[in-house]
Amino acid sequence: MKTTFLTLALMAAPAAVMADKLDDLKAQGFARIAIANEPPFTAVAADGSVSGAAPDVAREVFKRLGVPEVVASISEYGAMIPGLQARRHDAITAGLFMKPERCAAVAYSEPVLCDAEAFLLPKGNPKGFTSFADIAADPTATIGAPGGGTEEKLALEAGVPRERVIVVPDGQSGLKMLQDGRLDVYSLPVLSISDLLAKANDPNLEMLAPVVGAPVYCDGAAFRKEDAALRDAFDVELAKMKESGEFAAIVEPYGFSAAAAMSTSRAELCGE
Amino acid sequence: MEWDWTFAAEITPVLLEGLKLTLLITLLSAIVAAVLGLVFAVARRAQSPWVARPVTFLVEFIRGTPLLVQLYFIFYVLPGAGILLPPLVAGVIGMGLHYATYTAEVYRAGIENVARGQWEAARATNLTTRQTWAHVILPQAVPPMIPALANYLIALFKETPLLSAITVLEMMNQAKLVANSSYRYIEPMTLVGVFFLAMSLVSVVLLRWLEHRFGRLAK
Repeated sequence: MKTTFLTLALMAAPAAVMADKLDDLKAQGFARIAIANEPPFTAVAADGSVSGAAPDVAREVFKRLGVPEVVASISEYGAMIPGLQARRHDAITAGLFMKPERCAAVAYSEPVLCDAEAFLLPKGNPKGFTSFADIAADPTATIGAPGGGTEEKLALEAGVPRERVIVVPDGQSGLKMLQDGRLDVYSLPVLSISDLLAKANDPNLEMLAPVVGAPVYCDGAAFRKEDAALRDAFDVELAKMKESGEFAAIVEPYGFSAAAAMSTSRAELCGE
Repeated sequence: MEWDWTFAAEITPVLLEGLKLTLLITLLSAIVAAVLGLVFAVARRAQSPWVARPVTFLVEFIRGTPLLVQLYFIFYVLPGAGILLPPLVAGVIGMGLHYATYTAEVYRAGIENVARGQWEAARATNLTTRQTWAHVILPQAVPPMIPALANYLIALFKETPLLSAITVLEMMNQAKLVANSSYRYIEPMTLVGVFFLAMSLVSVVLLRWLEHRFGRLAK
């Protein structure tokens, strides 16, 4: 009932108010986006330049909307939605996967980047983990995951107690903690683990992908609920890019499947 | 931005769990800082430059580098040298060592404040170095230091949230985890502030009492 009212209220609001946000962004010449530093979703080079599939797509879409630049700030996954709500960012483009509880808090665009979940493990997977439930079942196993990230939530949902889900600040720390034996498993999406593994070049580690029982998730650009009009404008341009193949040209070099993002929808992923 | 009492009540047990750990870390680090600080202070006054110089260097080195850098070093770099400490132990060592260099200065001030005649009197009565320290110098030097030491104890207590960087689940980290899944900062952060304030006020009262009780020995 509440949502109906909200939808009605949004529909009834004058169009001028809706357009304001995009006009504001055009006037200031840039949009503020929240990113993590988790290649290939989001990456910050040593010189400070921002790349990664999610910011690249967002940069292109905003350009087409008449906003020439994006300014990125690095944030912990858990802090992104509160930061968006506190108006510190205009959009989240960080591989923050759509899950129903997140869909309830923010307005997602249509899917952008899709990936399955993976485990980074010591060579040979000595404890034989294949799913989050396996970790829950072993009373001594510890799993590393990003704070407020999808993997942290999946581990907790599978019944791993809080004290065995170690919040890891970034990929490098996670890798180090696994090498030092502080973690039994480090979980991130498949492409992030592959990237980390390639950079680490450590023969004592291996990847397990996909994690059994964890579905393929997709992210989208996330906006404030009040900025649904901006989200809709974003969706229009995103759809055009998907149609023309420009979308695939951006995300596929990073290893993402454009077809996966195009074969699903926000409505499906958010369980609407 | 509205305060939600139900949510606040719901997360309080989790935060109290974190508070227990915060207090434990404070207590252990304070003990390390108090004991090690005294060792540093006495060692810096040692006759032999082979003891005094390296200790002086060590103290200045630790005092001159940020605690967060030291914590990262102890937690992420030392394992490379084969020293793998659990997060809590790494945190207590990091904080204890760091604050020991501050308390060492407090001890130094207190020790230097003991009148020169006391040292001479100790020597004249043929006391050993150990006896001089234990029965003449420290009993006079320590009581005036209590307010300054108490200051560092409170500072140390309030710096425990830094340990969230090395995955210790203290109160601030618990609050962040709560915020991560609820997308609300107002209740968790306010409660953390309230708990810290409450604990600080209690410790101020305790320390006043301590000062009152033992401070008089100096007179």
